[in-house]
Amino acid sequence: MEFASNITIAALFQQILVGLSRTTILFIVASGLSLVLGVLRIPNVAHGSLYMIGAFLAYTIATLFGGGSSGFWIALFLAPIGVAIISFIIERGLFCHLYEREHLMLLLFTFAFTLVFGDLVKLVWGSDYRSLAAPVFLQGSFSIFDLPFPRYNLFLLIIGPMVAFGLWFLTNKTKIGKIARAAAVDREMVGAVGINVSWVFAAVFVIGCFLAGLGGALVAPTQNITQGMDHSIIIEAFLIVIIGGLGNIWGALLGALIFGLTDSIGILVWPQFAIVFPYIAVVTVLILCPKGLLKSTW
Amino acid sequence: MKKLSLIVFCFAVGLAVLLTGAEAGAAKTIKVGIVDCYSGPASTYTNDVRDAFKLAVDDINAKGGVLGRKIEFVTRDSKFKVDIGLSAAKELVMREKVDILMGTINSSLALAISNLAKKEKIPFLVTFSKSAKITGAKGHRYVFSITENSALAGKAGAAGLAKKPYKKYWIAGDDYEYGHAIADGVWNNLKKMKPEVKLLGQSWWKVGEPDFTPYITAILAAKPDAVIVATGGRDCVPFLKAAKATGFNERVPFYMHTATELSTLKPLGLNAPEGVIGTSNYFFYYPKTKENQVFVKQFRAAYNRYPAVGAVYGFMAADFIKKAYEKAGKINTEKFIDALEGMTVDTPVGKVTMRAYDHQAMLPMFMGTTKKAEGYDFLIATDIVTIPGKDVMPSVAEIKKARGK
Repeated sequence: MEFASNITIAALFQQILVGLSRTTILFIVASGLSLVLGVLRIPNVAHGSLYMIGAFLAYTIATLFGGGSSGFWIALFLAPIGVAIISFIIERGLFCHLYEREHLMLLLFTFAFTLVFGDLVKLVWGSDYRSLAAPVFLQGSFSIFDLPFPRYNLFLLIIGPMVAFGLWFLTNKTKIGKIARAAAVDREMVGAVGINVSWVFAAVFVIGCFLAGLGGALVAPTQNITQGMDHSIIIEAFLIVIIGGLGNIWGALLGALIFGLTDSIGILVWPQFAIVFPYIAVVTVLILCPKGLLKSTW
Repeated sequence: MKKLSLIVFCFAVGLAVLLTGAEAGAAKTIKVGIVDCYSGPASTYTNDVRDAFKLAVDDINAKGGVLGRKIEFVTRDSKFKVDIGLSAAKELVMREKVDILMGTINSSLALAISNLAKKEKIPFLVTFSKSAKITGAKGHRYVFSITENSALAGKAGAAGLAKKPYKKYWIAGDDYEYGHAIADGVWNNLKKMKPEVKLLGQSWWKVGEPDFTPYITAILAAKPDAVIVATGGRDCVPFLKAAKATGFNERVPFYMHTATELSTLKPLGLNAPEGVIGTSNYFFYYPKTKENQVFVKQFRAAYNRYPAVGAVYGFMAADFIKKAYEKAGKINTEKFIDALEGMTVDTPVGKVTMRAYDHQAMLPMFMGTTKKAEGYDFLIATDIVTIPGKDVMPSVAEIKKARGK
């Protein structure tokens, strides 16, 4: 097969825009994972399950509120909060007793949660496919150089930087963010100055999981809400976190950009073998800088 | 030493009791073992097979069963994994002593169980796998397919597309056996029927691809006349979503084998794209025959939902089992197979014959276009053209060639 003959500047530009909107979702999910990894040192495999629950909750809440545009906005607001509440219960009930355990234990423990969550989702929502409609004014697409660009993707392009700014503000400008960063470096020292580290961890865990829920709710209008959507996202999220530098939120942003853009440009350039492009990028990064692109907190 | 022999003796006695117990139980009923994926995304299809099968079996049993015996069935979850499914099938054969095996939606597993069925000499009715190898290259005396497969769908899709004026095509699909089989089936047949068609390029994505937007925009940039989309299962829904969001269906017409199926269109509600060409074995609203209306009514009364395509497979399986045993006149596997070969049953989609040579049910295929319709809160297929089973079946000569004879 010849290389695609359809590569024009317009097509490339548009493909980059589409890739950036995918990057938004990847960044939101991966940054939550990275936050939990960096501060709590938990490789939370169940992060993908929370993303899936976020999408299912968004569907249910939107349907409860009539399924229209208002339903979508309420769902986008409430679904991540619902996920945050679930994660709070899990953290206080189970995880807070396990922080001193070794990583392998934590990995197995969170993996067990993916199985439990998977079955819970099946019990609660059944096995039918679900779909959530975007609000009316975000449906359809507009033309950029005569090529269609979905309105909802533009919305994602606006949300992405907002979340990034919010995270920057949280970690650099708020007290809890500063304590969390300190606790990530030296947990005992933070405790020694009279701060209740356990509750700081709970807060960080909840914020991380909130981001998973937000990612799930945001992705719901573009996707099939179904069991199994947790598997693909968690692998991508871990890869992004690893190439970005474990626990570094800006690393997650950089990783998501690399992953999202190589994916969408690869599809334009060589559509038959597009699947491999992001993974080639990951391998290349890991060969050149095995510890990730940015400084890891580990 | 004495102790050891005592243990061995006890074990042997226990085993004998267990086995004869099972034997005694099996003698009174016709036992069907179903192995299928009941967890994960595939279960939206497999539940319909099981539920419709149960409905039909309950009905048969209420009327006195088959040859004075009741039909009993047990299910095992394969979790979409070949090893789990195969050991479940073995367990059904060894321990449950089933007379007939049924399942599965996973083609690799279907081929594995088919192999087991051949060895154990137990009939295996394939209810959802779309691999043409099952009754083609890997077919044998003990395997039967009561579902369409990628070869049939490919031929049906090509027959429909050949009538349209499109010349420049793009192929896009799931990068695994089903996707490639459908795409090859459609393309090879289309080229035969209409030699002037040209392939501009291909895109292949992984199964479970979350976002199809970049694929669609890249395809649109190439400006084909029409696109053959070879995606299946759960990927159909997000693909149609992305198609709607990008206005794909308004710019370039596309054909997608299962696009018109209820499992695909129902979740999308009225937000599904219109004008998508699809093929399917069954719609609850088509054909508008009395048999179909009765079937839909029964199914809805029992399960409070519309039957999807899998329901017809499940219903048909029960009917084939009943009629074949009745024709055979006794509960005997070899006689059952002889009876089933060439047998015709009445189904909601009309008369369906099990072709004697390759054990492939000759199901009609319905090609239609998605459209909003009054009275439904989801899109349905309209302008339906029926492509009879005999038109899409590969010839016996082709099957012989595939089997290397």
